[in-house]
Amino acid sequence: MDWRRTLTFVSVAVVLFLIGSGCGSKRKPVIATASGGSGGAARPGPATTPAEPEPVDAGPDVRSLDEGAYTTGDFPVSDPTTGEGGPLEDIHFGYDQATLTEEARAILEKHALWLQNQRDAKVIVEGHCDQRGTVEYNLALGDQRARAAHDYLASLGVAQDRMKVVSYGKERPIDTSLTEAGYAKNRRAHFQVGR
Amino acid sequence: MAASGGGWAAAFLVRAAALQAPASPAPDTPAPQVPGAPPPQLVITGGGAQRFAVPDCIPRKGDEASREACRALTQVLRNDLRFEFSAAQFVQENLFTAIPALNPDAPNFEDWRGIGAEVLVITRAEVAGAELTVELKVHFVGTGQAMLAKRYSGKADNPRVFAHQASDDIMTLTPYKGVARSKIAFVSDRDGGKGRATKELYIMDYDGFNPRRVTVNRSMNILPAWSPDGRSLAYISYRQGAPEVFVAHIFEGRSSNLTGGKGGQSFAPAFSPDGKRIAFASSRSGNMEIWVANADGTGARKVTSSAAADTAPVWSPTGLEIAFTSDRGGTPQIYVMDAEGLNVRRLTTVGNYNDAPAWNPAKQWSEIAYTSRLEGAFRIAVVDLATRQVRQITEGRGSCEYPSWAQNGRHLTFACNRRGTWQISVSDREGRTVQALSAGSGNNVMPDWGP
Repeated sequence: MDWRRTLTFVSVAVVLFLIGSGCGSKRKPVIATASGGSGGAARPGPATTPAEPEPVDAGPDVRSLDEGAYTTGDFPVSDPTTGEGGPLEDIHFGYDQATLTEEARAILEKHALWLQNQRDAKVIVEGHCDQRGTVEYNLALGDQRARAAHDYLASLGVAQDRMKVVSYGKERPIDTSLTEAGYAKNRRAHFQVGR
Repeated sequence: MAASGGGWAAAFLVRAAALQAPASPAPDTPAPQVPGAPPPQLVITGGGAQRFAVPDCIPRKGDEASREACRALTQVLRNDLRFEFSAAQFVQENLFTAIPALNPDAPNFEDWRGIGAEVLVITRAEVAGAELTVELKVHFVGTGQAMLAKRYSGKADNPRVFAHQASDDIMTLTPYKGVARSKIAFVSDRDGGKGRATKELYIMDYDGFNPRRVTVNRSMNILPAWSPDGRSLAYISYRQGAPEVFVAHIFEGRSSNLTGGKGGQSFAPAFSPDGKRIAFASSRSGNMEIWVANADGTGARKVTSSAAADTAPVWSPTGLEIAFTSDRGGTPQIYVMDAEGLNVRRLTTVGNYNDAPAWNPAKQWSEIAYTSRLEGAFRIAVVDLATRQVRQITEGRGSCEYPSWAQNGRHLTFACNRRGTWQISVSDREGRTVQALSAGSGNNVMPDWGP
């Protein structure tokens, strides 16, 4: 098994070298990330003074974060009576699950960018469950779902004083058809956006 | 409650008056007894249970109001007594026509004994103006001895209250406190209109009659919990955005917020048996844990510490222990711990989804009811704490959940969905007499049985 271990070591070393040299990556790391994976680039030597913010490369999924880029005032909000709708789509969960799927994370990353651009927007992160299950445990599960979404948004840089977490359990389903498709729609975190 | 001014508070005080018992009865006529003998007792179950006859109430006057009051009184009293005792203990009313009519001043006991009655319940009623007067006498048929004699006077517009009072007074001849005057609080979505769905609190008589709305704030109000003295109702309201614990002091027309400003969300309030403390679930520390505070909300401290969700706390009859739901073992199960949070141990071992514990408040039965998913549907189950045996209270079509015990521990209420809408139901503690109450329109859920 020695040669395998050697090969692995060499591969890791090569990768680290590439990361350290900045090759193999067309853009600088985003300022805040959830897992810190790609943000783990090697830093410059300890004696350097903090660098000026470097210009961010243009690219389809890169947004500028400097001050002048966000807008104030007019942005779409959720329906003030029902709380439904709004500019941030729901994310969904598996049956009896409160863990974020890959798709949910991708959606939350878009939401974080939207919230960074609309600094006046506040959001209530709602957790919901389908109509199966019991009243009290579903309120707790809804809380776990909402907190999972909230915590991920916070880790992406959304300020916590802009967000509130509210669980509705199974008490406010958006789909009352009692079908599997309807249940899947109800297992969600919803983002009630307001000013 | 939304402090919407004197009009609303006045409406509440009117309700409060209606919720109280009618004017205190005139002094009892003491039952003639053999000196030194124990007071006569009714046996409620088992081999010694006496057979009852409840003849029609006899009006003292011939006017329609008195006759109508008698009809209502008879029907409600028979329902109340059949609820407390078993229906099999009653002599069928159609046998009464086989004997001469009852003479209330000099009952023909021989005739009643002939059709199998051992206890005779005689009622008389009279309406004069706006006032109803009801007389109750209960006799042992064998000896003719009067066990109970009462007179009630009050407003004539609600004869049901008189019947409930009479049933509770008859229950004083048994070891158990009657439930006929008790109330059940519940949640209904009947007031939701277009737009945001609302859930409001209601209170109704234990038999499903007279539902009265308690909250009027057009938001979500859920999880009502009576205080032991029956004067307050704790509940969760979303009226300020996040769910918080409120307490409605229903006879004083005011309410207080116990958890506001502490962060997180709160659920599932439960008063301790002595009324001095309140347990609830809160996420203010980062995840859902059980907290205990003084009944006014001060001095809140966290009593569980688990990364899992802990919720639905309920107190033991001694106030020394708390049962709750936790998914710390991977699935929701019922756990028990000391009220300070020590000695946490798992209670339920049957099924992989158990929630909503309710601890039987009567000290003679050591058991906890809960909601259990069995064969894919939710059922009300009861686990005996000594033997750990589980018995199922509900079965059949649909699901039932959210049990709550009557104060004497002999009955339970819960919510069932048999045919598409949720309805409040009741049963004896063995599950032999499950019946749905007709509490009004909409989905009616989350019942809590008051004292």
